[in-house]
Amino acid sequence: MKKFLFILLSSFFLTSWMVVLPDQSEEASTHLKAVYINNFIKYIEWPEEAKSGNFILGVLGTNSVLNTELQKTAASNNKKPENRKIEIMNLAATSDAGKCHIVYILPDNSTQLGDVVSKVKNKNTLIVTEKPGMTELGAGINFVIVENKLKFELNKQNIENHKLKVASALVNFAVH
Amino acid sequence: MLNCRKIIIIGILLLKAVLSFAQEDKVIVAYNFLKNGNLDSAKVVIDLAVADTESVNDGQAWYIRGFVYKSIYTLREKGNRQSPLRLEGLNSFKRSLLIDTATENVTRNIGGIKYLSSTLFNDVVTSLDTINYKIAMENYDIFKDYLKLVDTSKATWKQYDIKFLLALATVYSQIYENDRKGKSEFLNLTKETYDKVLALDPKNYQAFFNMGILYYNQAVNLITQSEYDIDIVALNDIQDNSMKLFKDAVPFMEKANELEPMRRETLQGLSGIYFSLNDTEKSNLYKKKLQELGN
Repeated sequence: MKKFLFILLSSFFLTSWMVVLPDQSEEASTHLKAVYINNFIKYIEWPEEAKSGNFILGVLGTNSVLNTELQKTAASNNKKPENRKIEIMNLAATSDAGKCHIVYILPDNSTQLGDVVSKVKNKNTLIVTEKPGMTELGAGINFVIVENKLKFELNKQNIENHKLKVASALVNFAVH
Repeated sequence: MLNCRKIIIIGILLLKAVLSFAQEDKVIVAYNFLKNGNLDSAKVVIDLAVADTESVNDGQAWYIRGFVYKSIYTLREKGNRQSPLRLEGLNSFKRSLLIDTATENVTRNIGGIKYLSSTLFNDVVTSLDTINYKIAMENYDIFKDYLKLVDTSKATWKQYDIKFLLALATVYSQIYENDRKGKSEFLNLTKETYDKVLALDPKNYQAFFNMGILYYNQAVNLITQSEYDIDIVALNDIQDNSMKLFKDAVPFMEKANELEPMRRETLQGLSGIYFSLNDTEKSNLYKKKLQELGN
């Protein structure tokens, strides 16, 4: 019995080295995007007519991890635009895009960019995407990977077409 | 005058004989107490016996002392991880072993040391947690000293060291994870401990894998713990620092995968690291290998 106990304890000792691998890669990646979006809100000014009610951030596409991160961003943001509540809206169709201050089109839904552009043509909406070449097709800001890092392209004209003012600090930080 | 000197010499010899007899008596008395289960009396008498200058080199006396202390430890102090009785027992067996090299004496002392050191090792195992790890370290050092007496194989010593260091590194990393800001020094201690393992065994899968995870977790934490309203400049710095850590994780995880290519956790780790480095192609490659392994 004593010998058995010794063996039992030894085997516990042998297996105690295992470190649990938490799969947090996606959480980290979406956290970066959420922080970037917070900065887009901070460095872009919406016109007076778009400064009433909740600030609506619409997401076209499904990504539960991103959704959670954006909800956390909205809840924790201490620098809310004009002290307004940030509301995350999951867009089932492009028809609701015009209600949003920002429309974030996920990569799998990139083909819907043209549709979104037409829906928000005369609206004060910033279009954010994350697929190469999207700023040439109407997106205001597009996430890109440069030297392993998450960065963004910015098309000032596309942003200003929606009567939005973009701070030079944000323009300077964009990939050129 | 000559007669007087003879009388003195005879007297001294007689006294010595009496003292010697009395000394031998104490050991026998202690043995009899032990045999009858009177451990407290056996302890008192055997302590007196080995305190006598004549018994310092009496292997039998030290063996009986070891046996008495071992018996009391087993009966009353088994739950005490820092039992002084156990240490006295071990020390007594060791002294007996060094004094008397007769096969029979060596065998029985080694038996005593093996038994007590195994309890010491078990206490090392049960103390290896974030609270009692220092006790574990102290006990392991003592255990190692006695292991060297009963097992002369350096390969065995090394294997014990590797297992102990791997477990200790896990404890260090747990302490760090529980309080990353307050116990940041434990992150370096963890890395140093894995380095020691790799110095002993340059092909140790566990050390490579855990080092990879350590850098990966550090990088992920750096990002996920950043505030949502930090400025874009600070965000850029965080990305630079985390990317460096993700890159630091790569060689360790790749080496772990090279050593044991069919391990799910390694493939999962590599997929996660490359995903974080925004290298989708490599991330998907390891994800595919993971899927090929099945459940």
